[in-house]
Amino acid sequence: MRDCPYACGTVAHRVSRRKFLGTAAALGAGGFANAAATTSLAKAQKRVLVVFLHGAVSQLESWDPKPGTATGGPFRAIPTSVPGVHVSELLPETAKRMHRLALVRGLNTAEDDHGKGSELMMTGRKPEPGTEFPHLGAVAAKLLGGGDSALPGHIQIWPHGGGGFGAKDATFLGPKYASVALGDGKPPPDLVRPDGLTADADRRREDLRKKLNERFAKSRRSAATEAYTESFDRAERVVRNAEVFDVSKEPPALADRYGRHDFGRHLLVARRLLEAGVSFVRVNHSNYDTHHENFDFHIEQLGEFDRPFATLLDDLADRGMLESTLVVVMSEFGRTPNINHLYGRDHWSKAWSVALGGCGIQPGAVVGKTTKDGTAVADREVNAGHLFHTVLTAVGLDSRGRFHPDERPIPIADPKAGPIAEVLA
Amino acid sequence: MIAALTAVVALAPAPTPLHETIDRLVAAGHAGPFAPPAADAEFLRRATLDLAGTLPSVAEARGFPADPSPAKRQTLIDRLLAGPGYARRMTHVFDVTLMERRPDGKVARAAWEDYLRAAFAANKPYDQLVREILAGDGADPATRAAAKFYLDREMDPTLVVRDVSRVFLGKNLQCAQCHDHPQIDDYKQADFYGLLAFVNRSFLFPDAKAATAVVAEKADGDVTFVSVFDPKKVTKATGPKLPGGKAVDEPKMDKGKEYKVAPAKDVRPVPAYSRRAELAKRITAPDNPAFARTAANRVWAALMGRGLVHPLDLDHSDNPPSHPELLDLLAAEFVAHGYDVKYLVREIALSQTYQRSSEPPAGADVPADRFAVAALKPLSAEQLGYALVQATGTADVDRAAAAEATVAARLAGLGAAVRPVVPGDPAEAAVEARLAARVAPFRSAYGGRAGTPDDGTAPTLDQTLFVKHGGTVRGLVAHRAAAKPTDPGATADELFLAALTRLPTADERADAAAALAGPDKAAAVGEVLWALVASAEFRFNH
Repeated sequence: MRDCPYACGTVAHRVSRRKFLGTAAALGAGGFANAAATTSLAKAQKRVLVVFLHGAVSQLESWDPKPGTATGGPFRAIPTSVPGVHVSELLPETAKRMHRLALVRGLNTAEDDHGKGSELMMTGRKPEPGTEFPHLGAVAAKLLGGGDSALPGHIQIWPHGGGGFGAKDATFLGPKYASVALGDGKPPPDLVRPDGLTADADRRREDLRKKLNERFAKSRRSAATEAYTESFDRAERVVRNAEVFDVSKEPPALADRYGRHDFGRHLLVARRLLEAGVSFVRVNHSNYDTHHENFDFHIEQLGEFDRPFATLLDDLADRGMLESTLVVVMSEFGRTPNINHLYGRDHWSKAWSVALGGCGIQPGAVVGKTTKDGTAVADREVNAGHLFHTVLTAVGLDSRGRFHPDERPIPIADPKAGPIAEVLA
Repeated sequence: MIAALTAVVALAPAPTPLHETIDRLVAAGHAGPFAPPAADAEFLRRATLDLAGTLPSVAEARGFPADPSPAKRQTLIDRLLAGPGYARRMTHVFDVTLMERRPDGKVARAAWEDYLRAAFAANKPYDQLVREILAGDGADPATRAAAKFYLDREMDPTLVVRDVSRVFLGKNLQCAQCHDHPQIDDYKQADFYGLLAFVNRSFLFPDAKAATAVVAEKADGDVTFVSVFDPKKVTKATGPKLPGGKAVDEPKMDKGKEYKVAPAKDVRPVPAYSRRAELAKRITAPDNPAFARTAANRVWAALMGRGLVHPLDLDHSDNPPSHPELLDLLAAEFVAHGYDVKYLVREIALSQTYQRSSEPPAGADVPADRFAVAALKPLSAEQLGYALVQATGTADVDRAAAAEATVAARLAGLGAAVRPVVPGDPAEAAVEARLAARVAPFRSAYGGRAGTPDDGTAPTLDQTLFVKHGGTVRGLVAHRAAAKPTDPGATADELFLAALTRLPTADERADAAAALAGPDKAAAVGEVLWALVASAEFRFNH
């Protein structure tokens, strides 16, 4: 792994420039052959998928193109499936699915640091002393519940790394809602039965453990001992579900459409997790921090993003999952309209865009407008708080509610903001 | 309450030992039924976990029930309190109480544990320990560890006030920061700011980021506050003052004499009069009854599984103690015995209340706050680690390896074959270092969130997978599996004694022996031992 050449040295940048992989077979315009294999997903259960374009995607090369201006860069704007709405030509497949998406083009989040920007977008609030706000994924996992799923409710897929437990992003909601990280989309550590422990040996020792517990429970039981005993049953269900992480169970033709590369596979894992009842999945796509050679890197990055993302929207729709799954494409902020001397764009939080689609979203809506050169919001300015409210509202939650850690009322979302009504269905 | 307390203090030494009075007061608080005394094996396991933080050896598990001495429980308690396990266990208990599983900041765990261990090994009076902690500034390397309470909270005044009030005064004043507590009449915003005035002049020098930062203090800076509930937004001022206490009568400093070391560029200011030192003095003073009361309640909870005041940091008039007279008595005796933690631990452990069975009397549904049945206490991360290390025979492996290393080191010492035995035997320290390293992964898996220690009542998926598939537990279990197996029945006995401090029942012995009779003996031992250590009976101190 080598450091990316445009890195500015922060953690968000410590990602290798991934190898460019060949594009997958062309997508069919219509649905998929396996649409009949739609799950018996509980209709009532809502889910959220966040695709996080790490390092900050350029709004000008994606959702809010400004062709023919000094800041617009070399790419054209192309029409989409929604009359009158144009996006960058770097998103040709996504453009054909614009009728499944809505755009928020008036974000002004006023935070240009990767770490703080990421925190702001995930918590929907500026930090306040004395309170650590839980991340969107923990909030969604807690409030949406997981139905009968034994799987963790809050999962993040990272481009690489070992993955694991122990994230601090649930804060006062407790470790149950902290994200489980899947490095390269692989199952979490210790989920898979280790080599050297045969299935038979595992069954034998589990049988013995259960007998011991039965005897103990006859004379002594408490809520805590019950919970402990139950945790092994629960873990067993997750272990048995381990194939949810295994994309080789998918039809090869579908995997081809997602793309036979890391990001395509990660989105496919995400869909499998959502289908299995996980409330919140975040897929991280790296790296968009293009201080140098912004345009070349966006051809490459969005070239990898566009087709798998379009496939995902089709796949969710074909399975009947899109109406119960909210999809959000976001970053920590946007990129400067000004093009620097290295043909790069720097950090810009004053005027940028986010795309949403699926559950609770008004298809084809476009809210907010930036100025002609894209440097400022001209109409319907919103911030991270509005987006946080919008996400929760879209999946049927009351974003005006409160949590009560230690009997202290804490608003679920920033009380100074509210949902963006125009993008809600 | 103050009057009652004074009356008890004024009495001559109690005619009856404290543990008998504990039992009398608990008996007075419940009509019955009470659980009978715990069986010897159960008591041995409980006391060893509570007082030494680990499990008894197989030999102890065999020997203790067979011992005919009528005083054997007291003998065991005294042996455990005199052994090195006591200081280690208390270190772990008070580490969690004081630092609440915060990751290491400015003071490393090893130095902090050394400091606490030395304090509990010497049975340092608790008021003295807390004075050192609250007066510490971390400037002297020899005593820097004591300042961890402040340094690892970055001397953030509101965080320090919240935790001083919770840990030492039994009051969670957090909700009184912006207004009087909305639900608890006793907790006033003025209490929060009275405490804040003791520490708001203190800050980290040179800055909070420096790993070697020390606490500095200015000689000025006063505290004002406004309630967010007050429509008129009246600004109030307060000097340093403990909740419910009198305002501190502060010395007036002549102009120009406010500092021992005056502030200047790159110089740590030291005031002539330190409000932080005043806090250390006032918190631990005999006229602050909340201090001894909170300490007594916390020691009680460590042994009994819940506080007399419960939760431990919500001591107020609408949440009275389950046994008010008992809590007053424990606090008064604690003070009368010079804040002697070991005395308090011993008396509680000697009581019948502590020594009751955890098996409820048939058909009885006894509320936990009556202490009529022993509580099922989830093992702490450290207890769990040490218990597994002991039950799997890993402790023996480590002792042998440390002894070998010590011998090798002596041989390499060129004639220095006989080294002076310094306090803190190096061989024992070498064993301790190996064991402590074994326990670190348990702390990661079972510690909980910084500021919110895991209480073991809500297991998480990663904890269960840690036991089920994780390399740490697998590696420990392999130590026992590698031991030479004897006949299946005897091996079953050995494994039950090692893990559960008891012999198997006839059914259990038959099941285990059948499992152990298979062709792969080592694998079978591993399976049976894993089932034992993954059982609820192992996970809880019962």
